[in-house]
Amino acid sequence: MTDTKTLLLELHCEEIPARFLKPLSCEFADAFVSFAAEQKLGAPTVQAIFSPRKLAWRAKGLLTAQSDRHETQVGPPRRVCVDESGNPTIQGRKFAEKWGVDFSAVRFERPEGKKEPCAIAEILKPGRSAVEIFSDSLPKLISGLHVPKAMRWGNSSYEFVRPIRSILCVFGSDVVPFTVDGVESGNTTWGHRLYHRHSQSPLVVDSPEKYEAVLKDGGVIASFDERKRAIAEQLDAKALETGGRPVADEELLDTLALIVEWPTVLRGGFPAEFMDLPKEVLVTSLKEHQKAFCVEKPDSADLLPYFLSIANRPDDPSGLVAAGNEWVLKARLYDARFFFAEDQRSHLSELAPKLDALTFHRELGSYAEKARRISTIAQALAARLKLDAAQAKTAAELCKADLVTLMVGEFPELQGIMGGYYLRLKGAPEPVCAAVAEHYQPMSNDAPLPNSRLGAVLAIADKLDTLAGCFAIGQIPSGSKDPLALRRAGMGVTRIIWEKGLDISINTLIDLGLETIAEKVKNPPKDTKQALTAFFKDRAAYQLELSNIPASVRNSALAAGWMDLNDLKARCEALSAFAEDQRFTSLAQSAKRIGNILKDEEPLQSFSPDLLEQPEEKALAQRLNAIESAADYAALLPLLADLAQPLEDFFNAVMVKCENPDLRNARMALLNRLRKAFMRAADFSLWRD
Amino acid sequence: MSLKPHASLLLILNYTQLTKLVLVHRQHAVKSIVSAGLNMRVQELILKLQNYWAERGCLVGQPYDIEKGAGTMNPLTFFGALGTKPWNVGYVEPSRRPGDGRYGENPFRVYKHLQFQVILKPSPAKVQDMYIDSLEALGVDMTAHDLRFEEDNWESPTLGAWGVGWQVVLDGMEISQFTYFQQVAGSDCRPVSAELTYGIERICMFLSGIDNMFDLIWGNVRTDQGLFPVSYGEVRRREEFELSAYSFEHADLDLHKYLFNAYEKEGWRLVGDLGHYLSAYEQALKMSHTFNVLDARGAVSTTERPGIIKRVRDLACACAKVYLELEADKTSTEA
Repeated sequence: MTDTKTLLLELHCEEIPARFLKPLSCEFADAFVSFAAEQKLGAPTVQAIFSPRKLAWRAKGLLTAQSDRHETQVGPPRRVCVDESGNPTIQGRKFAEKWGVDFSAVRFERPEGKKEPCAIAEILKPGRSAVEIFSDSLPKLISGLHVPKAMRWGNSSYEFVRPIRSILCVFGSDVVPFTVDGVESGNTTWGHRLYHRHSQSPLVVDSPEKYEAVLKDGGVIASFDERKRAIAEQLDAKALETGGRPVADEELLDTLALIVEWPTVLRGGFPAEFMDLPKEVLVTSLKEHQKAFCVEKPDSADLLPYFLSIANRPDDPSGLVAAGNEWVLKARLYDARFFFAEDQRSHLSELAPKLDALTFHRELGSYAEKARRISTIAQALAARLKLDAAQAKTAAELCKADLVTLMVGEFPELQGIMGGYYLRLKGAPEPVCAAVAEHYQPMSNDAPLPNSRLGAVLAIADKLDTLAGCFAIGQIPSGSKDPLALRRAGMGVTRIIWEKGLDISINTLIDLGLETIAEKVKNPPKDTKQALTAFFKDRAAYQLELSNIPASVRNSALAAGWMDLNDLKARCEALSAFAEDQRFTSLAQSAKRIGNILKDEEPLQSFSPDLLEQPEEKALAQRLNAIESAADYAALLPLLADLAQPLEDFFNAVMVKCENPDLRNARMALLNRLRKAFMRAADFSLWRD
Repeated sequence: MSLKPHASLLLILNYTQLTKLVLVHRQHAVKSIVSAGLNMRVQELILKLQNYWAERGCLVGQPYDIEKGAGTMNPLTFFGALGTKPWNVGYVEPSRRPGDGRYGENPFRVYKHLQFQVILKPSPAKVQDMYIDSLEALGVDMTAHDLRFEEDNWESPTLGAWGVGWQVVLDGMEISQFTYFQQVAGSDCRPVSAELTYGIERICMFLSGIDNMFDLIWGNVRTDQGLFPVSYGEVRRREEFELSAYSFEHADLDLHKYLFNAYEKEGWRLVGDLGHYLSAYEQALKMSHTFNVLDARGAVSTTERPGIIKRVRDLACACAKVYLELEADKTSTEA
């Protein structure tokens, strides 16, 4: 049984940006695992431990030294090493000396690939101690980390995420000595910033297992999960004191657990006068400026006049932290209320002309131009979907106007939402307000869609304009490059049509979008249309994935037509029921055979059933009529499933390309009609097991 | 628990804090909660910061008498951060942001606010502790407050400068910007300077718990007849009103467009023909402010903006280049 020990490494830095902390820490730990394997120091289990000023990991199960290795060294041929009287030559002695063995220990054998016997020395290479290896290599491992937004500090040219101020590195109870940018490693570290204001002596960590406990004494909760849990529990408890619950925000929770060493949730209240502000304004203002949570009523989404902020210390002995947070929040809300009141002094229709000076895109013009295009598209769509085209026009013309309001200037994420509020306050028709408020939705693949029909139309029109415009000027997403988030816009369009069942085909949309942007088009319209169509087809394919359509169905369903998403949806749903059906696997085989047979042929559209001779082909022809006249996919698919066996029988018994030209033509026409009938539902030749 | 060692100390401080709270309430009849519980005057804050940094080996600089948007633009920082010479300096800088003008009616936003700016080159190993000590020197009791350093990187496209650092947050209030300069005028900073920027009004309001900047006490005027407290509003409100009105309503746009071009031409003549980097840099500062005035009026479209900023940056970078060449000559002559 070999000895193993645990290694703890901590880089104590100035505050590391929250967004880099976790990935960097994990990369560091992973890099060490690979390193340990390369160095044959065992297969340690590594745990990344990170807090705002500390990148650390602990690796358990490391060997204390590499094992000794036997190596065989091959030297010059015997005739060179030994003279005629059998004594060692100078070369012979030198070889023995070089490898530290006595000449008498040198053997002579013919190594593989050599023609004559050569000098062979067996040497024992002692394994290096782990501490020695770590001392040598950890600095390289640290400087080899991939640091995003690296910085320099002081006089040094060393680069890291933030200045490294101390290094803790212990292997069992031994310090692993090394230096990084002039900072020497040791068995000490520092605790909470404020705790150590008046303490000159660092914390001693003399064994890797004690790390968390020592830090806890020093005012730092080392574990991210523990900090996050502590925040979540305290949030719930403090909200409960007010009779409410915290407005959930997982992202904010994560951020906070990454920027505090020891969290304490503090409750504050804000004056009732601010409760007139829209909920989104309060929540956003608290989140963006104060990293604080709002509190909502237990049974509704209404807010209570409290907030929960997180302090980076274990207590608030004199209540000054809570009081300070309340004071700052009031200042922030005062600002928000000022914006809200100022913005209401003008109607959005008075602000809309300012959009002339706001560039949407260098080549696609201002937001005013964009709004006009959205209007054209939205009116066409509204007419198609039998919605009020005049309301669509109004909503489209005003939907971007909130971009020049003070509130959206301060909180860009409130775009659309503020427009909805401002219009409502001026008494605009509710469908218009809702449409403006919802038109940026969905914000992601799992975010909510516009609730209202007009909102859906406006959302599609806005995204379509962006897509058509960008494609028309050649800004097409490729690989990981999609700076304008066009794929997200495309998914938005697809999801809205798919989930809302809107009766618009993608083809119509593409034509409408490109026609509206025509004057800005740079690339040949045909190419643009082709690129945009391919783009939407990819989105449709992804939509099938998102909707959990079985993999066997997806490609075959898409290949039978996808521009009408509602039809695609109906087919996919019907086909999904047969996803595991063996009969469809057989049908797929037959479909491939039909494809091969009809390849390069021009089969007739009709045939006389009387020409058919064999019972297997007559059986098929009898079924053809019912299949061709099936009312819907629910009726069609069972018929196709039942066709699997007869088709198999047909191919087993019938030779399609026979000598008799009439019979042959009739058989090909029969297969052609069957293929057409299949294609109503899917291209079964692409069906997958 | 972590803060235990100071428990006994805390009790004493709590008591002092409480007395201070009561005092402030009586003296200024402040309606709101008093956050840090300190009765801080504007001039006292400035004096304390100057003293603190002077004692730690900083020159006490002076504001540079040309309009500018931030303390970084003062030549003491712009040129000070360039090159290899050690350089510590601290100074107050009035910073003009025409777009932030609120006619003296908004209690938190103003056309012109005061920054206290510190440059430490090279950045000392204990720079964060020095900064926290400065807060203690202002009277902030760190055993009773919450302090966070949250990532906030800084970039000035007009100066071709950027750095990484944090905003410093005290009890939820952003009180300072802390930056390690990585580049100034497009050239790498070696050594790296640390820049600390204190927002004077904000910190003063926060420390004294006053909700309206204009109600801050600037200082006391003592005469034979007695002591007259003078408010921030008395010193500055009219200025705020007129300068806001100027930037939003009365500034002559054609004149400013003309001036922008004229300053640019003058700047290039100075730095290009004569190699005078400082007088040329003044022209760049004037261009920058002229641009801000135009911008506040919405006279600059988003498409024009990058091009205009680049024109200022090009001139500033040309000045920096000449400065660095002269510095290099000096060093080689000395050697």
